[in-house]
Amino acid sequence: MNMHPRTQEFTASVLDGPMRDESELTAHVLVRPGKSYGFFTDTTVCIGCKACEVACKEWNNLPADDIGLTGDSYDNTGALSANTWRHVNFIERSGDGGVRDNDQTPFQSGWLMMSDVCKHCHNPPCLEACPTGALFKTEFDTVVVQQDVCNGCGYCVPACPFGVVDISKIDGKAHKCTLCYDRLKGGLEPACAKSCPTDSIQFGELEVLQEKASKRLDELHARGVETAYLYGVPGSPGATGDLGHLNAFFLLTDRPEVYNLPAAPTRASNRVAPALKAGLATMLGFALAAAVLLVSGRE
Amino acid sequence: MGLTGKMGRANEERPAVLAPSPKRGDGRASGWTGPTYYGRPQLKPAPFNNWVVGGYIFLAGLSGSSSLLGHIAELVGGPESERLARRARKYALLAPTIGSALLIEDLHTPKRFYNMLRVAKLRSPMSIGTWILMTFSAGAFPAAVLHFLADHLKAFRWLRRPAQFVQAPATLAGAGLSVYTAALMSATSTPSWASAPQALSVRYGASSVASAASALMLGERSPKLRRTLATLTCGALVVEAAASAAQAAAHRAKGVEEASGGGWGRAETIFALGLGVLAPVALLGASLVAPRARRRVLHNAAALATIGGSAMLRIATLGVGDDSATRPEISLRFAQPANLP
Repeated sequence: MNMHPRTQEFTASVLDGPMRDESELTAHVLVRPGKSYGFFTDTTVCIGCKACEVACKEWNNLPADDIGLTGDSYDNTGALSANTWRHVNFIERSGDGGVRDNDQTPFQSGWLMMSDVCKHCHNPPCLEACPTGALFKTEFDTVVVQQDVCNGCGYCVPACPFGVVDISKIDGKAHKCTLCYDRLKGGLEPACAKSCPTDSIQFGELEVLQEKASKRLDELHARGVETAYLYGVPGSPGATGDLGHLNAFFLLTDRPEVYNLPAAPTRASNRVAPALKAGLATMLGFALAAAVLLVSGRE
Repeated sequence: MGLTGKMGRANEERPAVLAPSPKRGDGRASGWTGPTYYGRPQLKPAPFNNWVVGGYIFLAGLSGSSSLLGHIAELVGGPESERLARRARKYALLAPTIGSALLIEDLHTPKRFYNMLRVAKLRSPMSIGTWILMTFSAGAFPAAVLHFLADHLKAFRWLRRPAQFVQAPATLAGAGLSVYTAALMSATSTPSWASAPQALSVRYGASSVASAASALMLGERSPKLRRTLATLTCGALVVEAAASAAQAAAHRAKGVEEASGGGWGRAETIFALGLGVLAPVALLGASLVAPRARRRVLHNAAALATIGGSAMLRIATLGVGDDSATRPEISLRFAQPANLP
């Protein structure tokens, strides 16, 4: 790894305070308002260590969900929730019907791991559904719930096409990944990306990340991994149905459903107008029918 | 063949997702038969209490349509409709009072209910609905008060005309109040709601009109007006039945009809369709041939069945939606490229 020259400024064991623009040292990116930031999660290098899950819980002070074993491979987290904003999927695909065999594929040898997260959609259905304005787009082009505004109506939960947003049973508010809004404000890389030991989770400016991802995809294709594709970049699966692109996008090697992702999610709010129009036309019809019936029934 | 086998081939030419979705042996595109993630839900169901929210949706429809029908009766129905309009104004108070209380009760942080009034968003049906309910209440309350004064105190009889004007916004908002809840449910990612926005909206609108006409029929003494309301109820129920058929067809077309196979789906068939549509239509049909003395009983029985069915329709639809969201084979099927608009 080539180290950033600015690391020379911080040679002491104990620092006086937080480093200015630490993200420049850890992620080679400066965090500035007005630019688009996101995550590129390259699942081909994920080793399933769950450091992202732990770092997220630590930084955001999130309590544990169920403690116990699910029986679903090494995934004892289960799903994203109000208290779990990173979730590592484990897919064992060697053999048929879960039985191991000796005939392993040479790449990723039968294992798929993927760290799932809020997608920070360009046209976020949760944000559009929110009736209080608690959900908003930040100056970093990310989607965040304002905890002091949310009244826990829960409408963002079914609005999300990825099953990300959740209402907390503890405080009765909606919670999800903030893309470490507080850290970005302080010039820090999000906790999950910083903790990822293989750079499976990369934080950065969206355009740069998309470019990196496309290069990585070409490289994988050249190396014979034809199944690799991007999920959530413009024109790809995940970025469908007027959702626009996803600020948190993925490189996958199996179909989206394998990772519990929808192949073609849609923007829920596009259904408001058709439903309202059909309903109001119906009501107009009944109003006219009632008027005709009442007039003709008069003595 | 493992999961890779399927994908490897599909990926050679185009992204995995664009590969045709696996179909069932019988050729019907129902449910997702491809891989799921350990059968775990892909979506989260709405964290609503179906009885509380369903109750609100029912009251909103009843109040909204009552206000609409009552005001029309007042304007064109002549003096014999006066009592009907008065009852309608009382029903119109159900949504702003009990309905609002139910809505606040269902919030997970109820003390912050007023945050609903911070913003107005055209892409959020819940925000649209908040403002429709506000407009409706702002018309229904003063109208009820003014009419009460005009009816009971001779000195205030002149208030009758202004009361009609005051009620106008409630009448218009009443139409919205009857159907916006369908838009609210359609504008989610919950498969069984999102797959048929228009049909659901027409169904809710028709059910609202049927429940309001039925409620108004209950206390109506004039046989002529009762017949008019019975005809309107019957017409609305026929439209509701047609809309349910259209909704079922849309569910089949998008491969999510299996969501109706559970307990909530059966409840919808038995109570919303059986009790709420078929039974009242049969009773109203019987009232046409029954002796004059029996008609009122049949009308009232039909009205009660319609009202009960209308409430159960809203509650059961919410439940079917939950089932469709928590079953990955339904939500993953709904999110196939073939279903893109």
